Amino acid sequence: MELLAREQALEIAAALVRESRAEECEATLEHAAERFVRFAGGGPTQNADRSRFEFAVRVRLDGGKGLQEARASVAGSTLQDGRRALARAMELARFAPPNPELLELGGAVQLRESLAAPACLQHAFAEKAAWVRAALQAASAAQLEPAGLIQSSAQARAIVNSRGRAVYGQSSRHSFALSVSGGGGAGTAQASGAGPEHVEHAAVIARAVDKGVRSRDPLPIEPGEYTVVLEPLAVSAVLLFCAYQGFGAREVEERSSFLCGREGQPIWPASLSIVDDPANPLMPALGFDGEGTPRQRTVLVERGRLCGPVTDRQHANKRGQASSGHAQPQPSGLGPMPQNMVVARGEASLQQLVAGVERGLLISQFHYTNAIDPKELLLTGMTRNGTFLIEDGRVGRAVTNLRFTQSLIEALAGLDGVGREAEVAGALFDGEIVTPPLRLARFRFTSATDF
Amino acid sequence: MQALARLAVESAQRGGASYADARLERIWVEELLVRNGELALASAREECGIGIVVRIGGARGFAALPLSGAGDRAAVFAAVQRALALARALGGDWGRGAEFAPEPGHQGEFRTPLLVDPFQVPLAERIDLLRAAERRLEGRSEVVVREAALSLRREQRWQASSEGLDVQQELTRTGAGLAATASDAGQCERRSYPASFGGDFAGRGWEHVTEMDLCAHGERVRDEAIALCRAPACPAGRRDLILMGNQLMLQIHESVGHPTELDRALGAERDLAGGSFAQPAMLGQLRYASEQVNLLADSTAAGGLDTRGWDDEGVASGSWPIVERGRFVGYHTSREWAGAIGEQRSRGAARAESWYHPPIVRITNLSLLPGSWKLEELIADTQDAVLCDTVKTWSIDQQRVNFQFTTELGWEIKNGARTRLLRSPTYQGRTLDFWNSCDAVCDASHWKLWGVPNCGKGNPMQIAEMSHGAAPARFRRVNFVS
Repeated sequence: MELLAREQALEIAAALVRESRAEECEATLEHAAERFVRFAGGGPTQNADRSRFEFAVRVRLDGGKGLQEARASVAGSTLQDGRRALARAMELARFAPPNPELLELGGAVQLRESLAAPACLQHAFAEKAAWVRAALQAASAAQLEPAGLIQSSAQARAIVNSRGRAVYGQSSRHSFALSVSGGGGAGTAQASGAGPEHVEHAAVIARAVDKGVRSRDPLPIEPGEYTVVLEPLAVSAVLLFCAYQGFGAREVEERSSFLCGREGQPIWPASLSIVDDPANPLMPALGFDGEGTPRQRTVLVERGRLCGPVTDRQHANKRGQASSGHAQPQPSGLGPMPQNMVVARGEASLQQLVAGVERGLLISQFHYTNAIDPKELLLTGMTRNGTFLIEDGRVGRAVTNLRFTQSLIEALAGLDGVGREAEVAGALFDGEIVTPPLRLARFRFTSATDF
Repeated sequence: MQALARLAVESAQRGGASYADARLERIWVEELLVRNGELALASAREECGIGIVVRIGGARGFAALPLSGAGDRAAVFAAVQRALALARALGGDWGRGAEFAPEPGHQGEFRTPLLVDPFQVPLAERIDLLRAAERRLEGRSEVVVREAALSLRREQRWQASSEGLDVQQELTRTGAGLAATASDAGQCERRSYPASFGGDFAGRGWEHVTEMDLCAHGERVRDEAIALCRAPACPAGRRDLILMGNQLMLQIHESVGHPTELDRALGAERDLAGGSFAQPAMLGQLRYASEQVNLLADSTAAGGLDTRGWDDEGVASGSWPIVERGRFVGYHTSREWAGAIGEQRSRGAARAESWYHPPIVRITNLSLLPGSWKLEELIADTQDAVLCDTVKTWSIDQQRVNFQFTTELGWEIKNGARTRLLRSPTYQGRTLDFWNSCDAVCDASHWKLWGVPNCGKGNPMQIAEMSHGAAPARFRRVNFVS
C-alpha cells in the first residue's frame, strides 16, 4: 500500500483553494488504503485489497448578511476532481441561508508529524493467511469454532484553507481479532497498533482460545446487583457513550449531556482519570481534526472530577476558549467529540482486582450497548464472550449471559479498583479507547439468557 | 461503463480466474439539515469505483479502486490484478468450497420507479421546505434542538460476470424527517416524525417527502417533546403492549431479520455481530410466532429500500416467506451460503454497501403482513397496556434472543381507552416468547412500509438499507422495565 504523499496532497489542495472564488475555501484531500482477511471455521469469508480517495471542498460565500456555507466531495485525487467538488459546493452555498455566527476559517498552525508505520503498509496477504491458519488450527485443536479479522489500514489527509492553514498527516492501524465458540462457551481477544510489530498475534490466539475453553458449560445465574470486574472490552462498551453523548460541547450547550449540572464536580472516586490523547502510543491518530486544528490532549475526568467538554472552533468560541481540536469535518450534523480516550492506569493486577471480590462477576465484553437516558448515562447491553463467577476472590465457573440496565454515573461512583495493564479496546458501534480493567462495587443486571 | 465491467471480467478470466464478477458504481448522496434556524449541513458527495470478485481454485479475492470515468481502463486492470494476487496469496486449500449456487446469467435493466426525481427538485425548494418545517418547531423555550433533515441517494451500477450476467440498475432513495428535543423538569426528551434517526426513507422519489407533510406535524412534535419531559416514567411490570408501525419495524428487523440471515446462523458473523438462535435444523419446525404472524421477505416490494432487479451476486429479486402462520420457514441467503442448507438457488440477499465493499448476506425488505383489526377497535379491546410509538433506543443479544427496546413515547391504555402519556417506555423480552404472544395485527389500512437506512453488519462494518412493512400489533403480557 502506498499513501498519497505530503507534497503532492498539499500542492493539489492548495491549487484548488487558489482557484476558488469563494470568500473562504477549505480543501481536504484524503486517501485510505486497506487490506483485510475475515475468516470463520472454513477459512476466509471476505477479504479486500482496496483504496479510495475523497476530495472535499468547503466554501463560504458572503451574501452581505453573513456567510453561506456548504461542502461537497468527489471520490478522486486530481485537481479536476477537486474542481467538480468546488463547483457543487458553490452551487449548494448559494442557496444556503446566511449564518452570522460562523467564525472565519482558522489560520496557519504548527503540527507534530504523524506518519503511517511502514510495516503496516507492507503487511502482505500471505502473512495474514498464515495467522488465519494458526487461528483455525488452535481453535480446531480446542474443538472451538473460530471467527475473526486481520486487517492493515492506513490513511493520509491534507487540509488547506484560504486563511493559510496547510496540514498533512498519516496514520495506520494493524489489528488482529479472534472470537471462538463451542460447548456453550465463547471467548474473544484482540490487539491493535500502528503496525504489525505492535500486535502479538500468537498471544491473541492463545487468549481467545483459553477464554473459550474456560467459558464452556456455563451455569445459569439470576439477574441482580453484583460487584463486577470489567475487562477492557467491557469498559470500552460503556465508557464510549461518554464520548458519543456527553463529553462534547454541543451536547452541553443543548442541555442533553450528563455534564450539565455536574461540570467541575467530583462525582467519581479519585482513582478515575480520563484524558483524550491523540498522541497515546497505543492508539496513534492524526494530529489534527476535521478543521485542521491540532488535536490537544484534553483532560475529561481529573481524579474523579468532571472537567469541561471537548470543542471545535465554533463551540470553543462560545465558551471563550481555544479549540481543543475535536471538530468533525465541517459543516456537520455532529458536534465535537473525543476520539482517543485514555483511562489512567491504577496499580492492581487483574488477579488483585478479582481477589478483592467476595462474590461477583468477571465480565469479558459487553455487546450491543445503547443509551436509554443520555443525561444519566443510563445504558443497557448484554454480556458476551465469557462471563465468570467470582467467589472468595477467585475466578470460578462460567455463567450464562446477562443483560444490564445501569446508570454509568452511579456505577462509576462505586469504582474501587483500577488495573495496571491498559490496552486498546473497541465496541460494536465504532470507536476505541485505551483502558485498564475496572472494578465496580455495584452493577445492576436486569434479565438473563440461557446461553 | 457496462463495457468496462465486461472488460474487467474478461481481464480476470485471462489472468486465470475461473469465476469473476465486476460491479461498477457511481453514487451521489446529498444531505441537508436545518438545525436551530441554520443550515447546519449542506453536503453533496459523488463517488465512482469498481469492486471485483475473482475465484482461483478454492479462493476468492476482492479488490476495489476508484474510477475516474468510463475511460479508466487502467484502474480496472489494476483492480483485477489486485484481486487475482489476493486470491493467489490466500491459496485454495482451506477446505471450504468457494463455489456459488447456480444462477442464470441475467441481462436487463432496473430503475427505481419515481414520480418526481428528487435530484431534479430545485435546491431552493428543498431548503425552503426544511426551513418551513423547522420553523414549526419554534415558539417554546423548552425546545433546545429543532431539526429538519433531507437525504437523497442514487446509485447507478453496471454488473457483469463470467456467467453471462450483464445488467444495469439505477437505485434512488429519498428520506426526510423532523425532530424536536426538549429539556424541562430535569429531563431531556426527543420527539420525531415520521420516524427517528433522520426520518423515514423509501425507494421512491420526491413524492415520498411531499406525502409526509412535515409542516403539518411540527407543532405536535414540539408539544409532545415538552409533554414527555413532564410525563411520568413508564412504570415497570407486566402488561400488554401495542406497537405502532414505526417501532414494530425495528422489532421485525432485530428479532426476525438478523436471526434469519444464513451467514449469521452458520457462525460467519460471530466475530462482531454475533450468531443466531434460529438454526437450520429448526427450519419448517420452529414455532417462531403465533398463527397471526406472517413475515414475507420481498426484494420487489414497491418503495422498498432494498427493491432492485438483481443483488450483488447477480441473483434476480423475488419474494419468499420467512415466517408463515407463525412457523419458521425461510432464511435470507446468498449464492455463497445457500448450498450449506441444501438450497439450490440463492434468495438474492447478497449486498455490499458500495463498490468499495464485498457482498455479505443482508436482510431484504421484510414485512409483517396485515391482519384484520382496526387500531381503535384494538385499543378498545385492550384492558391494561402501553401503546409504544417511535424508536428511541434498542439492544439485543448476540444470539438475537434477549432484547430491550425503548420508544420515544408511550400511551397508557386502561379499560379500552388512552389515559395518559408515559415517558421512555422500555420493554424487554425473548424473541420466541414475544412473537408467540402476538394476538392481533391491524389491517392493511394501517399498514406502511418503513425504511431502515442504517443497518450495520460485517467486519469491517458495512451499512445497508432495507424496509419493513407493518401495521400496529398487540403483544400480551410483556415485561416493562424501569
